[in-house]
Amino acid sequence: MRRMSEYEIELDDVTFTYADETTALANISLRARTGECVAVLGANGAGKSTLCFLLSGIVPHIFGGGRSGTVSVAGHDPWNNPLHTTARVCGVMLQDPEVQLFNPNVFTEMAFGPSNLQVEREEIIHRIGESLALLHLEGMEKRNPRDLSGGQKQRVALGAVLTMRPRVLVLDEPTSQLDPIGRWEVAEAIRRLKSTQQMTIVLTTHETDDILDLADQVIILDRGRIVLAGSPAQVFSQPEVLAASGVRLPILLDILHNANRLVGKPLALTEQQLRQLDATRVGDEINTMISRGQIEVRSERTPGPVESETNRDFALEADHLTYEYPGNPPVVALRDINLSIRQGEIVGIIGQNGSGKSTLVKSFVGLLRPTRGEVRVNGQDISRVPVGQMSQRVGLVLQNPDYQLFTSSTREEILFGLTNIGVTGSAAEEKLHEVLQWVGLEQELETFPFRMSFGDRRKLAVAATVALDPQVLILDEPTTAQDHRGRYQIAEIGRRFRDEKGRTVLMITHDMDLIARYAERLIVMWDGQVLLDGPTAEVFRQVEVLERTFLHPPIAAQVAHRLHPLGLSSDVIRLEDLLCALGSPV
Amino acid sequence: MQVPFKYTYHDTFVHRLHPLVKLFHMMLTLLLVIAPMYSFRFLPVLLAWLALSVALWFFAHIEISRFATLIKLLLGTFVFLIVIQGFTYRFGSTVIITLFHWGYGNTNLGALKLEGVVFGMILSLRMLTAAASLPLFVMTTSSAELMTGLRRLRVPKVVTVMIVGALSFTTLIFEMWAYILDAQKLRGFDISRMNIVTRLRKAYVPIVTPLVLLLFRRANDFQIALETRGFGAPGNPTEVEQLVFTLKDAVAVLFFLAVWVLCQALRIRIAASLV
Repeated sequence: MRRMSEYEIELDDVTFTYADETTALANISLRARTGECVAVLGANGAGKSTLCFLLSGIVPHIFGGGRSGTVSVAGHDPWNNPLHTTARVCGVMLQDPEVQLFNPNVFTEMAFGPSNLQVEREEIIHRIGESLALLHLEGMEKRNPRDLSGGQKQRVALGAVLTMRPRVLVLDEPTSQLDPIGRWEVAEAIRRLKSTQQMTIVLTTHETDDILDLADQVIILDRGRIVLAGSPAQVFSQPEVLAASGVRLPILLDILHNANRLVGKPLALTEQQLRQLDATRVGDEINTMISRGQIEVRSERTPGPVESETNRDFALEADHLTYEYPGNPPVVALRDINLSIRQGEIVGIIGQNGSGKSTLVKSFVGLLRPTRGEVRVNGQDISRVPVGQMSQRVGLVLQNPDYQLFTSSTREEILFGLTNIGVTGSAAEEKLHEVLQWVGLEQELETFPFRMSFGDRRKLAVAATVALDPQVLILDEPTTAQDHRGRYQIAEIGRRFRDEKGRTVLMITHDMDLIARYAERLIVMWDGQVLLDGPTAEVFRQVEVLERTFLHPPIAAQVAHRLHPLGLSSDVIRLEDLLCALGSPV
Repeated sequence: MQVPFKYTYHDTFVHRLHPLVKLFHMMLTLLLVIAPMYSFRFLPVLLAWLALSVALWFFAHIEISRFATLIKLLLGTFVFLIVIQGFTYRFGSTVIITLFHWGYGNTNLGALKLEGVVFGMILSLRMLTAAASLPLFVMTTSSAELMTGLRRLRVPKVVTVMIVGALSFTTLIFEMWAYILDAQKLRGFDISRMNIVTRLRKAYVPIVTPLVLLLFRRANDFQIALETRGFGAPGNPTEVEQLVFTLKDAVAVLFFLAVWVLCQALRIRIAASLV
C-alpha cells in the first residue's frame, strides 16, 4: 500500500534527457507541501519549462525522452500514467494564451476539461461559476476568448484548468507575454488562488519582483541543475549565485543590498518583511539611512541616454493622423495624432494593449493607410509609397521573428531582403557580413535559422531589417521572452544603430527598465491618443497620469521619487543612476 | 485579411436552430445539386434553393460582404469551369468562336460553344448553391453545439474533435497568412504587387514556408492544450450544452423538406420536357 506522503510534489534525483540526447534536467530533487508556492527561476535554457512538462506529464507523452529518478505529483507519477489521468491531479498553463484557447466562448472553454473527465453537468456549471468569480470574469461567459485582452485570455486559460480541480497547478511563465494590466490581473488571480485554495503551485518566471509576496520556496536552475533552493529570503541573500545563473535579483532587494553594503552591514530581511517589500518601504528605509548620516546623496551619474539635438530634421511626422479599423461601428484606433520625431532620437512608446501603439507603427511603415491625416517620412508623404519600398526607409522588427524566416540559412535570410531591394553581388555580400557582425551572428552564416534559439532568431530578424539600411528602425517588444542576460541585446543593437549611423530608433515595449535605460524620449499612448510625450525622466515624473493608464515608472524611479526631498536629482530613473547617487559619507 | 467564415454569436432563429437541422439543410442541398441539371431551363430550381440559403444568411444577420467573399473565392473556379466546358462540351453545336481545330469524337476542342458555356454556368451555379450552405452552417453553429450534434449522430469523439480542430485551424490559417504577408512586405517582398506569373513562380515560398512551420508548432501546442485538459479520457464527455429539439426545429425541417420536394418536382418536370 502506498505510504501517504506529507508532500504534494516530490522529485528525487531526477534526470531527464530529450530524445535528441539533450540533458535538460540533472539530479533534481524537490519537495513541496500542499498549499505551497514554488517559484522556479533561471536563464533561458535552464530547464524551467522542462520541469513544468515533467510535472504535468507533457514529457514523455508529447515530447519524448528518458528519465531517471522518481516523480510524484499528488501521489501520482505522470510518467507512467496517460495525460488525461495526470490532468485530474495536475493542471498546467503555458506562456502563450493564444495556443490554449480553442472553444467559441468562455463558458465552453472552461467546461471542456471537466466535461472530458465526465464530471456531472451541474457540478461543471457550479465550478465554472466559482472560477469566473475567482478570476473576475463574471459576465464574460458568452464572449469569444480570442476577442479578449491578453490578461483576460490568460485568466480564461487559468479558469479552464481550475475547473478540473487539480491539486497541483503548474504555471510556465504565465505573464511573460502580457501588458502591465494583464500581468497585474493574472498575478492578482494567482494571489487570490493561493489564499483561498489549498493548491500547490509551481511557477516559472523571469520577473523576480513579482514573486516576492507569492513564493514560499524559490529554486534557481542553471543548465538543468538546482544551484540554489530555499525560502525567498535565503535565496535572494546570495546575489552572486543569482548573477552567475543569469537571474536578476529583485530590483528592490538590489537597491537595499547596495545601500546596506555602503553602511557595511549585510541585508537581513525576514520572510514577512520580504513579502511586504515595495518601493515606498525601500525608499523610506534609505531615507532613514540618509537621515542618520549612514549614506549620502551624490550628484554624479552614470552616462544615460543622450538627448539628440533639437535642430535635426524630422525623420517621422504624424499630422492629424486618424485610423479607423473597419467594422460596424468602425473601431477608432488612432485619434488625431500629431507627432514629430527627429533624426537620431531613441524614442520609447508605451501603453496598454489596445492603446494604438501597433496601429501607429504600422502607419509609419505603410502597412496601414491613414483614414484621415498624413504620415511623412523625411518630409515626404508616404500615402502613395508601396509598402515594399517603405522597408528602405522605415524598418520594423516584429515581436515574433518566426513569421518571416523561411530559408535554409542565415545567409539566405539576409540576402532575401537585399535581393528584394535590388542589392546583389559583392555589395550584398559585404552588407551581409556587416550586419551579422553587428548582431553577433557572424559564426552562424550557414546555420538553419530554426536551429537557433529564439533570441538568436530575433537578432537575425534585426539583421535582416538593418541590412535594408532604413532611416528609422522600429523594435516591437525587444525584451519579450528574453531572460536577464539577453534582455537588452536587441535594444543594444538599436542603440548602436543610432550611435554609429545616426539613425532614428523607436521601441515599443512594456519594459519600463528598458525605457529608462535606452529611451531619451517617451511617448505614452492611451485610447488612440498621445497622453504624454517628452523626455523620459519628465514623463516618469507624471506618476498620477501614468497610474490612470495602469502604468508605473520603473521600480528604481519609484524609489528615487521618495528621495527627491533629500536632494536626489529628479532625473534619476535608472537603477544604475540610483546606486551611483548613493554613497558612503566622505 | 478578415477570416471569412468564422463563427460569430448572434441571437437569431438560425443560430438557435438545432445543429442537426442545419446539417439536414446541408444534406438536402448536396442531394439537390448532384442531381443532373445541364440546361439553363433548370435555373429556377437552383435559384429557388439558393434564394432559401441567402434568406437564411439574411436572417442570421451575416454581413453581405461575407457572401461576396464566398463568390470571390470561387470566381476563379467558375471562370475555369465555364471556359473548359465551353471548349470541351460534347453536345454543343452553336459555335461562338473558333480558335483552332482539334477534333475529339464529334466535337472540336478548339471551338467555344454556347451550350458548353451554359453548362459551365449551370455547374458554377450548382457549386455556388452547394458552397452557400456550408459557411452558413459554420458561421451559425458554435463548435460546442457542433460537437454535441455530431455526438448525437454517433460520430466518434476523435472525428468530432478533428472537425472542430480543423475549423479552429482554418481561422488560424487566415490570421497567420495575413501576418506573414505583412511581415514579408516589411522585407521588401510585396506579393500584391506581383503579376500572376511571378506569383505562381516564386511568390508563395516565403509565405507558405513560415505558415507551414508555424502550423506544425501550433498543432503541437493544440495537442498539449487538448490532452492536458483530459481529452482522450475513456468514456463519453459530459454534455454541458443541452440541445433540445423544439417545435421550431421540427417546423424548419418540414419547411426545408417541402421546398426541397418542390424543387425536385420542378427539376423532374423540366427534365421530362427536355426529352
